[in-house]
Amino acid sequence: MDTVVAIRGVTKRYGPLVAVDGIDLGIRRGEIFGLLGPNGAGKTTLISMIAGLLRPTSGEISVLGHDVVREYRETRRAIGLVPQEINFDPFFNVEETLRMQAGYFGVRLAEERLVEILGALDLLSKRTTNSRALSGGMKRRLLIGKALVHDPAVLFLDEPTAGVDVELRRSLWSYVRRLRERGTTIVLTTHYLEEAEELADRIGVIDRGRLLVVEDKDALLSRHGAKVLRLSLARPIASLPAPLVAVGARLDAGGSVVTFEASTGDAFGPLLAAVADAGLAVGDVETRRTTLEDVFVRLVSRDRGEATA
Amino acid sequence: MISLGLWTLLQKEVRRFLRVPGQTLLSPVITTALYFIVFGYSLGGRLREVEGVPYARFIVPGLVTLGVVTNAYLNTASSMFVMKLQGTITDLLVSPLSYGEILAGFVVAAVLRGLLVGGVMWGVAGVFSGFDVAHPLLALALVVLAAVAFSALGLMTAIWASSFEQVNFFPTFFITPLTFLGGVFYSIEMLPAPFRAFTHVNPVFYMVDGVRFGMLGISDAPPAAGAALLVVLASGAIAAAYAMLRSGYKLRG
Ligand SMILES: Nc1ncnc2c1ncn2[C@@H]1O[C@H](COP(=O)(O)OP(=O)(O)O)[C@@H](O)[C@H]1O
Ligand SMILES: [Mg+2]
Repeated sequence: MDTVVAIRGVTKRYGPLVAVDGIDLGIRRGEIFGLLGPNGAGKTTLISMIAGLLRPTSGEISVLGHDVVREYRETRRAIGLVPQEINFDPFFNVEETLRMQAGYFGVRLAEERLVEILGALDLLSKRTTNSRALSGGMKRRLLIGKALVHDPAVLFLDEPTAGVDVELRRSLWSYVRRLRERGTTIVLTTHYLEEAEELADRIGVIDRGRLLVVEDKDALLSRHGAKVLRLSLARPIASLPAPLVAVGARLDAGGSVVTFEASTGDAFGPLLAAVADAGLAVGDVETRRTTLEDVFVRLVSRDRGEATA
Repeated sequence: MISLGLWTLLQKEVRRFLRVPGQTLLSPVITTALYFIVFGYSLGGRLREVEGVPYARFIVPGLVTLGVVTNAYLNTASSMFVMKLQGTITDLLVSPLSYGEILAGFVVAAVLRGLLVGGVMWGVAGVFSGFDVAHPLLALALVVLAAVAFSALGLMTAIWASSFEQVNFFPTFFITPLTFLGGVFYSIEMLPAPFRAFTHVNPVFYMVDGVRFGMLGISDAPPAAGAALLVVLASGAIAAAYAMLRSGYKLRG
């Protein structure tokens, strides 16, 4: 498979703090890659180094075969970055802002391209509105527009839906999918798991500067995935009967919930039999498949557990 | 032949100062007129002539130079610092603009503002004291060099600064005092010896003196000294600002 962005042994230090710690990663052409990690994990630092906003302390990054430090003019033409922090210049309106950003990239923005971008981001009616007068959501969409003016091969979206309402989030997601269909490679950072689950083809989990896992989303979910059974007890119990402990069940919610996780292929039958044998009165039953969130929490807590042990 | 990227940055920088004409153009006009009324007339009434020219004419080159360098400095300094504060500096840093293009965009726009302000001040001053210039090309060249030097200085200060106070540090503690002690309002012949010695190590003195030679044909020091100093200052400041941008200092973590 064709690698668009190659990251080799990249580290970024801020004094004693290692914000990004020896990351190796390849982004494939045409995929949506979800970089997932808690706040402070190093997501912004990593993509800032790719986009040229920060210099790596060590290691190398190339985009379409060009080194991001030595051949920055080539790599930056291939990259669009939607930064995490909203920025705008109150001197200029929406159209001027987009035309200026295109100009920096050496591109004269054609009228139909301008209209296309404005339309896709639902900003057509704001074309001559001063950027200061846009709502927060509109400012964020304008940032996306700015990242697209030069038609980049790779688009980086740094927490694009942080602080954005549900409706706008949905419309941004569908726009991201449309971009991918047109051939744009997309790297998305988020600490919002539903977003990665919804959009990403592949997922990298990052914590404290280290990449814990990189895998196809479906493979990740099924390998770490499981189904979960929650039994709400009619009467809380003080401790779990031994046969239930033996099959791996857990007592939660102060003794009123029995939780049991099984791999996707396994059956819940034996557990239910053990519950009946123990004479527990079940008030309610709930089953669900594990989400990316469960996988993520498990990976991160395992990583932290190992580090503190 | 300049690239579309540089042209865009240049245009943006020029539009930025043209959108606030009160601040960028009107205020220097008022300041100049005030200098003339206060220094040119009240003091000039007693002094009448310095080195054979009317006092009102004598102070014009210094005032124009002061206006040019302050505005060139302020334009790059405030533009860069505001871009850092707003986060819009990101727009430039992710673009394929080269270090030289970024530097040129900021400096050329700042020089244009300096020249515009200097030109307006010179026009206002001309109403009071006449319009003839002894060596127009030399005067223009020296003023441009001064503007280049101070705009590069403004850019470096803004890249380094983390507060507005630090941006203003340089004008408050260097440009203004050195200018007032740099022979804008007097000939060094009029000073007692210790001050005269200090003036001889003040770069602003040579700058003002050189421009005065260009405009009025009179000077305290050899005019070549002012010209040489300005060439060194301008090329040194440009080289330093280029190296700073290239190093990524403060801007690229
Ligand atoms: N300019 C900086 N100076 C010092 N530390 C920084 C700087 N930028 C980021 N950090 C630190 O680096 C780590 C990673 O930050 P960041 O990449 O922003 O995380 P994320 O985007 O995953 O939330 C954090 O601990 C953060 O505090
Ligand atoms: Mg971040």
